[in-house]
Amino acid sequence: MILRADAVRKRFDDRTVLAGASLTLSPGDVVFLSGANGSGKTTFARILATLLPPDDGEVLLDDEPVGEHRRAARRAIGFATHQPLLYPGLTPAENLEFFGRLAGIAGAAATASALLERFGLSAFAHAPLATFSRGMLQRVVLSRALLNNPRVLILDEPYAGLDTEGVSALNAIIGECRARGAATLLIGHDRDRAAGVTTRAARLERGRIEAA
Amino acid sequence: MTFLEVARKDLMLYVRDARFLATLGLFSAALVLILSVAFGPIFRDPAHEAAATIWAALFFAGVLGLSRSQDLEGEAGASDALRLTGADPFAIYLGKTLANVLLLAAVFLILLPLTSVFFDVGSLPALPTLLCVGGLALVGYSGWGTLFAALARGLQARELLLSVLLFPSLVPLWIGAVKLTHALWDGGTIEPVRDWIKVMVVMDVLGLALAAWLYESIQEAAE
Repeated sequence: MILRADAVRKRFDDRTVLAGASLTLSPGDVVFLSGANGSGKTTFARILATLLPPDDGEVLLDDEPVGEHRRAARRAIGFATHQPLLYPGLTPAENLEFFGRLAGIAGAAATASALLERFGLSAFAHAPLATFSRGMLQRVVLSRALLNNPRVLILDEPYAGLDTEGVSALNAIIGECRARGAATLLIGHDRDRAAGVTTRAARLERGRIEAA
Repeated sequence: MTFLEVARKDLMLYVRDARFLATLGLFSAALVLILSVAFGPIFRDPAHEAAATIWAALFFAGVLGLSRSQDLEGEAGASDALRLTGADPFAIYLGKTLANVLLLAAVFLILLPLTSVFFDVGSLPALPTLLCVGGLALVGYSGWGTLFAALARGLQARELLLSVLLFPSLVPLWIGAVKLTHALWDGGTIEPVRDWIKVMVVMDVLGLALAAWLYESIQEAAE
């Protein structure tokens, strides 16, 4: 087991979003989590990524509560969500190098360059991010999530905006992550695009996770 | 060095935002010009009026700068990406503070000759001491301001809250800056009011110590 969410609960005002959601990610797992709009998928992803504390329940990374080892947990997790989590005023290369250096990655510039090449963005590495299309931006977003060679990869709607080439590149990278023993959680609606890489599927309904 | 990386990134974003820099520069220069016209053309105590003017202009320019500093993190969720790096929150705070000090130092260096000309004050021998006073004031202002700006981030009335928090907290620092600047422009020495230096140093240290204690909680609670 790498990451385990145990009976996670979360409320926003009077609305219960998660009512005891549990999920275990083991080395090599690629889990596809689906659910209706507003079912709490993004909230659950943010809790797993340590960005949001649960009201109750806990998240464990290597059997250690992530809340007590937050900085170490963050260096083991790669996370992408609807928001780009990038600086629009910087270029893709500047963004990735900056976040890479902050994460303590040796050779951040080379890693950033390799990821951009992998996603077919080498020619745009020094272009303003503000001029990027949705799909190009998504490729940079995914590159940022992969910067730290994560042991746990949490990707919320990773295929949004990607063309066929982008989907292939992402699936190939997920396959490599799986081969090196990383665990991946894919969150979205379109399971077909991840069909070749997922090992199991789950569904978030009424605040709980059930096998799909 | 995390804090240098963060400062470099913030400065790069400031420099690329021509609209923000133009607003900041024109706003503070206009404030000095308007107050010099209001107090003049015959000044009763030019050193006093000039000292009050330059520090008032810097205070308001600083609120603009501090708000922008936090906006940079709010746009596109970059603050979450900063947290996800696992970097030391206090180093992030120091980097943002350093960038704000340098931004306000640039404004100070623009306002200094303007104020000298409009109010006919200042002398070259007093300049090094004045720069030190400016440094002390701007470190304290940015130190407290970066902390409060992080606290106010995400709120609709953040500029208002920032001013409401900053003003009472920084009264001793700003009085010290005005008194020392006045003394320098009036008599060329800070001797009569030199104790204000101690007050300013205490304020600077207090701001940084408070941030070392609180910044991580504020950063995590920003969700």
